[in-house]
Amino acid sequence: MNALMIKGLLFAAVLIGATIFVVESMHIDLSDPINLITMIGAIAIAVLTVGVSIKYINQMKTDTASGELTDENWDGIGEYKNELPSGWAYSFLGTIIWALWYWTMGYPVNAFSQIGQYNAEVKTYNQKFEEMHKNADKATLQQMGESIFLVQCASCHGVTGDGLSGKAQDFGSRMTKEQVLYTIKHGSNQLGFQMGAMPPMMAQGKDAEEIAAWIAGGMKGKQPAAFATCASCHGPDGKGMNGMAPDLAGYNETLVKHVLDHGKTGEIGRMPSFKTMLTPIQDKALAVYIQSLSN
Amino acid sequence: MFHWLEKNPFFFAVGVFLVIAFAGLVEILPNFAEASRPVVGLKPYTVLQLAGKNVYMKDQCIACHSQLIRPFKAETDRYGQYSLSGEYAYDRPFLWGSKRTGPDLHRVGNYRTTEWHENHMWDPTSVVPGSIMPAYKHMFSNAADIATAYAEAVTVKNVFHTPYGDDIKAGKKAWEAYRPKVLAEAKKIAANMKNKDVKDAVNAGKVPEIVALIAYLNSLGSSRYEANKVK
Amino acid sequence: MQSNAALEYDYSVAKLFTYTAILFGLVGMLLGTLIAAQMAFPELNYLFGQYGTFSRLRPLHTNVVIYGFTVSGVFATFYYSAQRVLKVSMAESKFIMFVGKLQFGLYLIAATGMVVTLLLGITTTKEYAQMEWPLDILIVLIWVLWGVAMFALIGIRREKALYISMWYYIACFLGVAMLYLFNNMEVPTYFASGGIGSMWHSVSMYSGTNDALVQWWWGHNAVAFVFTVPIVAMIYYFLPKESGQAVYSYKLSLLSFWGLMFVYLWAGSHHLLWSTVPDWMQTMGSVFSVVLILPSWGSAINMLLTMKGEWNQLTENPLIKFMVLASTFYMLSTLEGPIQAIKSVNAIAHFTDWIPGHVHDGVLGWVAFMIMAALFHMAPRMFKREIYSRKLIEAQFWIQTTAVVLYFTSMWIAGITQGMMWRAVDEYGNLMYSFIDTVTVLHPYYAIRALAGVLYVTGFVMFAYNMIKTMTSSKVLTEEPQFKSPMA
Ligand code: HEC
Ligand code: HEC
Ligand code: HEC
Ligand code: HEM
Ligand code: HEM
Ligand SMILES: [Ca+2]
Ligand SMILES: [Ca+2]
Ligand SMILES: [Cu+2]
Repeated sequence: MNALMIKGLLFAAVLIGATIFVVESMHIDLSDPINLITMIGAIAIAVLTVGVSIKYINQMKTDTASGELTDENWDGIGEYKNELPSGWAYSFLGTIIWALWYWTMGYPVNAFSQIGQYNAEVKTYNQKFEEMHKNADKATLQQMGESIFLVQCASCHGVTGDGLSGKAQDFGSRMTKEQVLYTIKHGSNQLGFQMGAMPPMMAQGKDAEEIAAWIAGGMKGKQPAAFATCASCHGPDGKGMNGMAPDLAGYNETLVKHVLDHGKTGEIGRMPSFKTMLTPIQDKALAVYIQSLSN
Repeated sequence: MFHWLEKNPFFFAVGVFLVIAFAGLVEILPNFAEASRPVVGLKPYTVLQLAGKNVYMKDQCIACHSQLIRPFKAETDRYGQYSLSGEYAYDRPFLWGSKRTGPDLHRVGNYRTTEWHENHMWDPTSVVPGSIMPAYKHMFSNAADIATAYAEAVTVKNVFHTPYGDDIKAGKKAWEAYRPKVLAEAKKIAANMKNKDVKDAVNAGKVPEIVALIAYLNSLGSSRYEANKVK
Repeated sequence: MQSNAALEYDYSVAKLFTYTAILFGLVGMLLGTLIAAQMAFPELNYLFGQYGTFSRLRPLHTNVVIYGFTVSGVFATFYYSAQRVLKVSMAESKFIMFVGKLQFGLYLIAATGMVVTLLLGITTTKEYAQMEWPLDILIVLIWVLWGVAMFALIGIRREKALYISMWYYIACFLGVAMLYLFNNMEVPTYFASGGIGSMWHSVSMYSGTNDALVQWWWGHNAVAFVFTVPIVAMIYYFLPKESGQAVYSYKLSLLSFWGLMFVYLWAGSHHLLWSTVPDWMQTMGSVFSVVLILPSWGSAINMLLTMKGEWNQLTENPLIKFMVLASTFYMLSTLEGPIQAIKSVNAIAHFTDWIPGHVHDGVLGWVAFMIMAALFHMAPRMFKREIYSRKLIEAQFWIQTTAVVLYFTSMWIAGITQGMMWRAVDEYGNLMYSFIDTVTVLHPYYAIRALAGVLYVTGFVMFAYNMIKTMTSSKVLTEEPQFKSPMA
């Protein structure tokens, strides 16, 4: 091998090496078939282009032009009657035969269905992961929740769940005074709890202010007397009477699931529903993670 | 034979034309009728949404955003149900894009809201730190071209039989009669927004580009064919 | 064989298109560098208010480099080389001169209109077919004029058989004509609605999946018939001419040409893999793309073999360097493309930066290299002066080669990484990365690409300077050089 070829292949090797290095540093699984085929394709591009082009460029050094010229000549340009380079000719023939084989016998053009393949992919996935995490413990759920949260929720709630200065719910605490007042004023009928709707104006004026302040404060200290109205649905402890109405004290699983299924419109704005995008285990994991954010 | 063609340019050109025209006939024609059929329950874009689509085209969001969810688990997890041919039946032009510098938007209406878009279009990094998307503040003051959007609705209704109601018809009078409906829809969007200039403009009977754009973005998803919503 | 009695060729139209190629090349590449920089440093989006965002400028970049730079280069080299290989002078026919000049005049109007409308956001959005209907009509007119000039020249030719370059120019004319027409079928809304709204706006004749099919039938073959076919025409003329070597094999030319014509059109659906077009069409596109490697490589190999035994020319003549490297970049992109067209690979590659990477090893390493080399070759003959500076060309060559390598390697790594990150799942089976993670990780590669842009533009400025100096103040030649271009 001559120096040019070595340099060329070295360049190809460096490019491939760098690609693999960067990809590995992102924790990519290269044994995944799609990733693997892609990497092989990349190697083929680099090696074949360098190899073949340098093979011919080398002939500029080692060979001489020869052959019989055709009769024509255009503006001083002549043309040899040389035969086809055999490597090229056989490769061309080979790809044509391969193409014919592919359509007729290999993968007849009407035999493949990308949706069929998708369904199979989802099935394999579910078998693998849903089984694996059916009985996940709390720590696992929390980590799992975080991984979903960062992908699906962080663009509104922020990477740390702080709500991006009021653009969405801050999970540091359940509700602000304004949010509670907003619900008291407007009522609410969107989360799909068993109890159904909460009517507007269950409390007014100073009562409402007091209740709201108390709930926003984490329900510590003395319960305002007016909260009795609320307690009939949310329970004396405000925890929602086993899922009949929302838990006002914190983020229990039922509340999070209801918000994820139905979305929520409130004082801050609207949160869309994630019903079609999350599985039951993912809902649960998110609840555990959100609980870990609030104090 | 080839050498003969080279000496007879006319036949050479005919030969080239036949060879290149062949593929189009075989690959494009057979599926033409099939591919233009809408999914059950698909509604055409409203005039306001069309105006938003034109803002999307004018500012070339397609430079960074696709609208095509491919049938891979990783993709349906991120964006939702894979795209169906019939969902695009009223898309002229198709806006699939060919580059995802930003995420796919085909179902963005399912998981983003008016409020969010308002924040994001004004300053993307305020909601997504590290975003390289440009801020589109000029959309909050530029007026959307709702007349052209109406003209577009009339055109696709009359020429391509897109199922619009009887109130969409040619002529300036019909447009004047229709305009309040566009404004009413714009008001609903503006009601969820904070920007005071936008709210004032809408109250004064104008439609800023951002309002139309958000109407369009909200329509991207499964809401346009609710009846058939894929679970 | 024809006698080589001196014929005074008329280069006035070729010169006009040479000027626009230089102008639009510079503008287009500056825009490319700006948008590359914007992806690395988003603050640069606000240089010109709403007209300066990445999204407004990206289509401007693609249109200026395609319809401004490349198409000018195609017309310039055509009006130069067609006269010579057909052995007729444009001066022999007042009609052809008129058509050529009219074509240029309309071209200038259309190109200006294109820049203005795209900046204003007047666009039909379909890639490489963004211009609105009034401009489309103008473009069709320009194209027809080109066809008239082409066939009129052929009609009065003295050389009986068409040279290979002419095959490719004819194919370019026909292919673009057919595809452009079909893809730009659109209905102006103003007229269909009884005079409401904007005159400029139109809707596509096709919707959804059909629109996508027609668009990529065009889009892919815009690549074929603008970035490939006429550039192959150039290399078949300018490489043998500059080197004085005879083309290696007529048979190889023949098979490559007809193979390319037949196969290229089928491959368009590789832009629509995993989309909603039927599976069988996707498979067709994928398989034909792989077959396409050979007719593409055929021309490149033919050119490399033409230089057999001419190593000294490669080391001594920078124009030969440009053209030989252009052939190898052509080989790179026509192998990379087919591999990216394999469905499993496309699942990763599609939508990522690997595609612009593939694009630019073609357009920077092949298209622009060939056009610049061709214009350099033409300059001493058109302006009757030697090329101003050989040293400058040498420097330009190395700077731009570095730029192309930086561009395609950075986007190669960026694209593969991004594509794999989108698919990655963690140990819980959830997506491992949020979208923004896959954006921020690319910052270094975007920065490298922006640097590549700066280098490439620097090289292009050197080219422009060298050309202008050649036109105006370099040493006058008394005799037309036969092969190697004289340079100081
Ligand atoms: C008739 C039963 C009922 C009464 C009385 C009631 N609530 Fe509710 N409350 C509900 C239900 C049901 C919901 C969930 C509504 C939904 O689906 O949107 C709810 C929701 C809420 C929420 C919103 C939780 C969230 O995350 O969106 C707050 C805050 C709240 N109630 C506070 C109060 C306060 C304070 C009072 C007393 C002043 C009160 N509720 C009285 C039934 C009641
Ligand atoms: C498009 C923006 C957006 C996204 C995405 C989003 N949210 Fe929200 N979310 C909100 C907004 C806005 C609120 C506050 C609604 C209100 O009370 O005004 C909210 C409220 C909530 C609440 C109720 C808080 C409370 O105390 O009542 C929960 C729980 C929640 N989000 C969880 C999630 C989870 C988990 C995800 C991801 C799967 C998510 N959100 C994604 C915007 C979003
Ligand atoms: C320079 C590239 C670029 C351009 C141009 C661009 N975007 Fe984006 N876009 C991004 C990136 C990167 C993200 C992801 C980060 C973020 O959310 O800001 C994004 C995110 C988004 C999202 C959020 C989607 C989601 O799932 O979170 C929406 C909606 C959006 N863009 C709309 C638009 C619209 C509308 C336009 C045109 C007016 C536009 N973008 C132009 C790059 C761009
Ligand atoms: C054998 C020849 C080629 C094949 C089979 C091929 C194949 C491909 C494929 C598969 C894509 C990506 C589609 C996607 O996933 O988005 C692509 C994109 C592209 N290629 Fe090639 N390519 C070839 C040669 C070339 C050459 C020589 C050039 C330019 C000089 C070129 C320019 C482009 C351009 C501009 C795009 C981008 C299209 C877009 O906007 O999405 N290609 N090509
Ligand atoms: C200085 C040199 C250049 C630089 C820095 C540059 C940069 C860029 C950038 C940043 C993009 C957008 C990529 C993206 O959206 O991710 C792009 C797209 C494109 N450029 Fe260039 N460019 C240059 C020269 C050229 C030339 C000379 C041509 C053609 C002759 C060209 C043709 C294209 C095409 C066809 C696309 C669209 C690709 C696609 O859609 O996939 N560029 N360029
Ligand atoms: Ca593209
Ligand atoms: Ca057009
Ligand atoms: Cu293609």
